[in-house]
Amino acid sequence: MDWIAMATGFILILMGLYGALTERNILRIIVSFTVANTGVNLVLVAVGYMHGRTAPILDKTVPVAEAVARIIDPVPQALVLTAIVIGLGVTAMMLTYAYKLYEEKGTLDVSKCRDLKW
Amino acid sequence: MVSPMYIIAAGLGGAFLLGLLPNKWRTIPYAITLAILGIMAWIAGSWLYAFAVQGAASVEIFTAGTQPPFAINFRVGLAEASLALLTTLVGLHSALYMKDTLFKQGRQAMAVLLIFIMALCGVIFTRDVFNLFVFMELVVIATAGLVLLSADRRALGAGIKYLIVSQLVSILLLVGIIFLYHATGTLNIDDMAAAQVNLLQGGAMAFFLLFVAVLAELKPFPANGWGLDIYESAHPAFSAIFSTATGGATIYAADKMLQIGGAEWLPAATAIGIVTFVAANIFALVQNNDRRLLGYSSVAQIGLLLTVAGQRDILGDAYYYVAGGILLAHAVSKAGLFWLSGLVAQRELTDWAALRSQPVLVFAFATFLALLVGLPPFPGFYAKWDLAHHLAAEGRLWLLGLILFGALVEAAYLFRWFGYVIKREARENGLAWQSVKADVAFSAVIVAWLLAYLWGHLSGHGNLLHAVPLLFALLFLPLDWLPAKLKNVLAISGLLYWFYLNYPSYDPLQLIFAAVMLPGGALILLASFQTQKRRVGFYPAAMLMFAGLAMLIVAKSSFDFFAAWELLTVGSYFLILRGKHSEPHALSYLVFSLGGAFLILAGFAIAAQGAPDFKLAALAQVAQPYAPWVFAMLAIGFMTKTAAVGVHIWLPGAHAEAETDVSPMVSGILLKAGLFGLFMLLITMGKQQLYGVELTYVMLWIGAISALIGNLMAIFQEDAKRLLAYSSIGQMGYAVFGLALMNHLGWLMALMFVINHYIYKSMLFLSVGGIAKRTGTRLMYRMGGLITLMPLSFIAVMIGIIAMSGVPPLSGFGGRWIFYNAIMTAEYRLPMVIVFLAGPIAFLYLFRLIHTIFLGQLKDEMRKIKEAPFWIVLPQMIFVVALMVFALVPGLALRKVDLYMTQFFAGNGHLNWEGLTISSDFGYWNPVAIMVIIGVIFMTLFLWLLFVNRKAQPVKQFNIVFSGERPFRPETTHFAWNFFAPYRKALGFLTQPLVTIFWETVSELLHSAADILRRFYTGNGQTYAIHLLGFVIIVYMLWMGGKP
Repeated sequence: MDWIAMATGFILILMGLYGALTERNILRIIVSFTVANTGVNLVLVAVGYMHGRTAPILDKTVPVAEAVARIIDPVPQALVLTAIVIGLGVTAMMLTYAYKLYEEKGTLDVSKCRDLKW
Repeated sequence: MVSPMYIIAAGLGGAFLLGLLPNKWRTIPYAITLAILGIMAWIAGSWLYAFAVQGAASVEIFTAGTQPPFAINFRVGLAEASLALLTTLVGLHSALYMKDTLFKQGRQAMAVLLIFIMALCGVIFTRDVFNLFVFMELVVIATAGLVLLSADRRALGAGIKYLIVSQLVSILLLVGIIFLYHATGTLNIDDMAAAQVNLLQGGAMAFFLLFVAVLAELKPFPANGWGLDIYESAHPAFSAIFSTATGGATIYAADKMLQIGGAEWLPAATAIGIVTFVAANIFALVQNNDRRLLGYSSVAQIGLLLTVAGQRDILGDAYYYVAGGILLAHAVSKAGLFWLSGLVAQRELTDWAALRSQPVLVFAFATFLALLVGLPPFPGFYAKWDLAHHLAAEGRLWLLGLILFGALVEAAYLFRWFGYVIKREARENGLAWQSVKADVAFSAVIVAWLLAYLWGHLSGHGNLLHAVPLLFALLFLPLDWLPAKLKNVLAISGLLYWFYLNYPSYDPLQLIFAAVMLPGGALILLASFQTQKRRVGFYPAAMLMFAGLAMLIVAKSSFDFFAAWELLTVGSYFLILRGKHSEPHALSYLVFSLGGAFLILAGFAIAAQGAPDFKLAALAQVAQPYAPWVFAMLAIGFMTKTAAVGVHIWLPGAHAEAETDVSPMVSGILLKAGLFGLFMLLITMGKQQLYGVELTYVMLWIGAISALIGNLMAIFQEDAKRLLAYSSIGQMGYAVFGLALMNHLGWLMALMFVINHYIYKSMLFLSVGGIAKRTGTRLMYRMGGLITLMPLSFIAVMIGIIAMSGVPPLSGFGGRWIFYNAIMTAEYRLPMVIVFLAGPIAFLYLFRLIHTIFLGQLKDEMRKIKEAPFWIVLPQMIFVVALMVFALVPGLALRKVDLYMTQFFAGNGHLNWEGLTISSDFGYWNPVAIMVIIGVIFMTLFLWLLFVNRKAQPVKQFNIVFSGERPFRPETTHFAWNFFAPYRKALGFLTQPLVTIFWETVSELLHSAADILRRFYTGNGQTYAIHLLGFVIIVYMLWMGGKP
């Protein structure tokens, strides 16, 4: 199972990158990056997954004493949560830029922003 | 003491607090922002004080109350506290600077600024890779927000490019982090470092992703187009933070990554760093936009820091001193320059000429440039010195060479910019003056000088800011408002007093040089009484040069010598730049001099082989195979200063275009610094062989060819000052030739040239300067017949050329006499013939000088001119007397030196001084008898001539015709125009400016390469993203190829 998640994750990353590098429309670029970020999150989770273990929640079914042997590593999951939040922040920032770009130039084409160069 | 954690807490809390305030408020949110930044800076400062002064150990802060790896930990030590203080202070000052903008944008912008500074501190403190990622993403978001504060509309595009690239970076970071966690089982940096990632399954690959992602944030070449766009378009106060604080925090993060990767990754950091440093500096050569240029320079400096980080293995304890010196020099100067750029209304480099309306801003600008380039007494100078020595000791010579090359290119474009500031036309309203902004910028100047003191204090070589001559020179900065005459008195007394004070401690050789440089300088400064008003900027520069000279001759260790060398170089550069048309010439002088200085630095570094304190005398003990290389580097460095052929092209312009009283200083005095260096070198190292070639023999040839070419070029000049300048090349050629003879008399002759050349060249430059002042031209064919109007100048020139041409009876003949004796004992014949040939050629240009200026017809418009001003004539007359005295009793100066030199050549060939007669193995010389005989012959001929010519009729001025035609260019019919045309036909091929063409081609190649290659930065954000991917792949191929 975990290799499917891992492979899907990397495929999503590559798809996202391809989109981000080839699309001209900033909204499509943002979507591409979101796809890539989802891929990254999948990879993170897949790396943390361990066969035959349960969710890292300590309750009646998983007593504290057995926790080390029975739950998966909670750290990658915590990381994914944080990464999602940060991804949201960056995406919001990029959307703001998209809005500003449209306001300023009347277009969503990023290749129009070329007045700074060399 | 407050826990450093509160730096983070204060930033976050402040930002939340601002979010709660009403949207319309301005003053209170602004006050809160400043207060929070102040608190953050205060906490960082108090910790810095604790670490640096009280010697506290670094503290660990465990969040969530548990140890890592179960919780995130921060570490704050000396380095972290310094960086945090730097970050918060730059933030605070930029907030003050951006007051208007922040008021316009309101509390949101202020909150983002607080988050930005807080996140940078987090990047510095954290010891957890994931936490590092979080803080770096916060930096990205805050950066993207703050970029929009700019009034420049184009900033929007820059922000988009930045976001695209940083998305890529964050993907790399996350993937790297999770696999590294998988491999090591921890997120803690220290635990990862202990786990030796390179040995673990997949560890190296994971580390590679993480490392390359952090590197990408450092804007390495070529993946840095986005960074440059931000620098160009963002608000200058933001760019100040972006360049200094972001740069500092990120380089520190890269340093932490290197701790994980271990020594295996240091070469990668070195390579990426040095490529970035050199490439960014070359690209900056063709920039016209000030902020983009500063951006390139920032990229370059961070590249240099990465290179230093890559030398961690050899720097040892010096690592933080070197890296800190370079980082702080970069940070303070770059912040200052960005803040200054906000005061300049327009964006071309030449628009900075507006700074001139406020001299204090020019001082600030000069301070920042010196700090950035690493000139003494600033931290970068000490850091570069130590770095060079470590690199040389470990044999990393290629790296040393590349660093020095990059630094030279950087100095070239920065000082070209300084030339624009001083020389270009300032536009009206070019200065957008706001006193708050100027105060913020000036605070960086104060910090710069404090850092200079601190780094001097920490250095193992003594603090340059304790050197009395340097302090005396700096004293003229605050006194610059005084009238020039008063400052002149002060300067002259300073020079004389310093000479008087040190007189007993000089050995005879030092005494000769000291006498030429200190009282000699005072004598030339008499001419400066001529100037009126305040003469802003002249005295600090002149005294800086004299301070360098005074320190040079007494230097004991290589460090003191080099520091003095750079001081006199910089001082003389400022001095030369003052001439009306000297902008390009001053630049070429500086570039050649710094190039020579870097060779000297490399030579000393190789010679020292890691010894912390290297005495000059120890040059004698340099081991093979280094010795000949050290010799060659030092000799070329010194010969750059004496303008030996090949590296002479800076001299004619620099000396000719300088002000009237500056020309004699830089010609008569400054050139001797090179000779002093050569003396020091030959005394200690003696003869050296490189691949079987005797290096002194090569020097002999260089000296001979310089003498020939210098003299030959001189005879074809139309401009009197250029003629004198070229003649200096020839004269210094003689001196180098004499030194390279490596015998007693050769050295004595070189010393004779030190004295003679000082006297007659200073005198001639003053006379010609005075004449140029009166006639308004330096072109000789525009003058003529001035003998009756300017008799004193005529006498000075007359005496000067007699002395210089080496005909009896004046001291020039003494020089020749010793010289002929010297070559009798040497076995080299061919260079000797060349030097002989150069003698009569010298006579040609001297004859031209006196003939075309003073004889012939007086020009109509010059009928009413007067003798040169008193203060310019006075030193000339003193020189005339000095020449006479020196001609009659040369023993006064030379006898002791003659004795002193016997120790180097076992007494071989030294002279016998009996009464007034001096005898050698080949003959004798009695100056007084010669003077009398020549005097009698002269008077006899003169009287006879008067008698024969008593009936001669002067030809009237217009007693010539041009076959009834009006000549197309009347001046070409003047006899003084192209005076030596027949010689030009015969020998002109020797004066082809081959060397000039060579160096121009080098410069042209660099510029056009930069201009073509920078087109690589197309301005398209997606192209930049591809650059980044390309960068990742290249680094992967080079360092990971073949590994799992």
